[in-house]
Amino acid sequence: MKAFVVLLVLIAHAHADPAAGAQLHYELQSFHDVHDDAMQPPEGRHLVLAGVRLHAFIGTRTIAYHIGIDLAAGSTIDGGGFAYDVALFPVGGALRFAQTSFVTLGVGIGASGALHTVDDAVTFPIEARFEMGRGIRLLGRVRATWVGAAKERHGGSPSVSFIDELEAMIGLRLGRAYWDFDFPTGNGYFVGAVYREWMGAQFVGGIIGYSLDMGTPRKPR
Amino acid sequence: MLAVQECRVECRFDGLTLAAQGKGVEVIAIRHAAVTPIRAAGCVTYSAPRVRLVRLGIVTRLWPLVLASCVIFQRPVEAPQGDETIVALLTGGLAHPMNDIARHPWFAIRKKGEQQWMVYEVGGGIAREADPFRSHNIYVGPMLHKVWRGEEAERAAACIERVGTEVKRDIDENYRLFPGPNSNTFGDVVLRRCKLSAALPATSIGKDWRGLIGVGISSERTGIQIETPLLGFKIGLKEGVELHVLGLSLGIDLWPPAIIVPLGPGRLGFDDR
Repeated sequence: MKAFVVLLVLIAHAHADPAAGAQLHYELQSFHDVHDDAMQPPEGRHLVLAGVRLHAFIGTRTIAYHIGIDLAAGSTIDGGGFAYDVALFPVGGALRFAQTSFVTLGVGIGASGALHTVDDAVTFPIEARFEMGRGIRLLGRVRATWVGAAKERHGGSPSVSFIDELEAMIGLRLGRAYWDFDFPTGNGYFVGAVYREWMGAQFVGGIIGYSLDMGTPRKPR
Repeated sequence: MLAVQECRVECRFDGLTLAAQGKGVEVIAIRHAAVTPIRAAGCVTYSAPRVRLVRLGIVTRLWPLVLASCVIFQRPVEAPQGDETIVALLTGGLAHPMNDIARHPWFAIRKKGEQQWMVYEVGGGIAREADPFRSHNIYVGPMLHKVWRGEEAERAAACIERVGTEVKRDIDENYRLFPGPNSNTFGDVVLRRCKLSAALPATSIGKDWRGLIGVGISSERTGIQIETPLLGFKIGLKEGVELHVLGLSLGIDLWPPAIIVPLGPGRLGFDDR
């Protein structure tokens, strides 16, 4: 909480130099259960999700307030049930560096579940994201989630005992960078790996997608 | 030092130029030419080490071509010839970095005996242009979706002149970038009201805007669609099945066959006709 107040004060003092940026991802990810000794194996052992992530920040050239929304839907392969994973991040901070690179930390609320296989639950995620580079860009995120309701999903992360679910992604965008209308931007397709722990099982998989980023410049061209 | 002969051929994706070796079996180089795409094929000689370097570089540049090359028999983007009345539907990508996820439509009309094209769109005026097929305003990578000729074009031109002005005024007054009504809503409404049997690509976000809820015939006129700003779907004989989530389209086009995706040209498969 103290860090959040410090962030707000810093942003409030930066009124003379406003800066902003946004990122959009289209993603298709596939998870497969690779290790589930810890608990009863989940029925949905293979999961495919397609979705959109839209994040933005506004503040100074270095520190900014961050918000975001993640929407994904798909299906478990075995159970054949509709699956979803959505989250809103209304509170967060961003640390910008280089020309368009950044690290963000967001706190939010969401919901996830899968018909017949994974109980629906309200979720409370904390997510760290980073993007580094221009056209060729390293993308990543780590999310720790606490689950409300759905008791069978509590304590479902085998590697971190005090959280319920864990998710991580790392990817490489093979795209292009632009400098149009005095704004540094970039876009392109990316490929990467995903990792998820929930319901006592560990899932790994792949991700392909499209990412774009835009923002006010941090330094002269 | 071994020299390798390499020939360049044009690629139709956002100015990327694809170079192929020998008989075109082995692709070895891609060069970016965003401003002026190279149309004429030519040959250059590269040394073997450079070829290896370029071959490595291609791995990082192939992704856009994966989508681009998946539109089969893509209609060439050039002004149709002939003295008869011609009406064309085109779209162009928004400025970078939005070029792959959002497209903007315009109708180009050239009446019998005229030299210039009259362009109808939202976001610009109703104006005359010499060649809205090669370049139009700030939009990149134009795509030609449909051409009407002769009597059919005469009827289309008359309707677009009448309806287009009215629809443009309505949308200009209520314009909303997302989810609509926007310039893509204009394109779809004009197609439906003028009964022109064509469709905008999946990346024309806003084409399916029908207000809070709307039910009606699709713009291709062989299917129906039900839309809300959050969710919608289209089903039809030619249209296949298309799901709309927050303005993004996913589905399967039955004719011409393709998978509908909200990226690039909006489809993986045969070009829409």
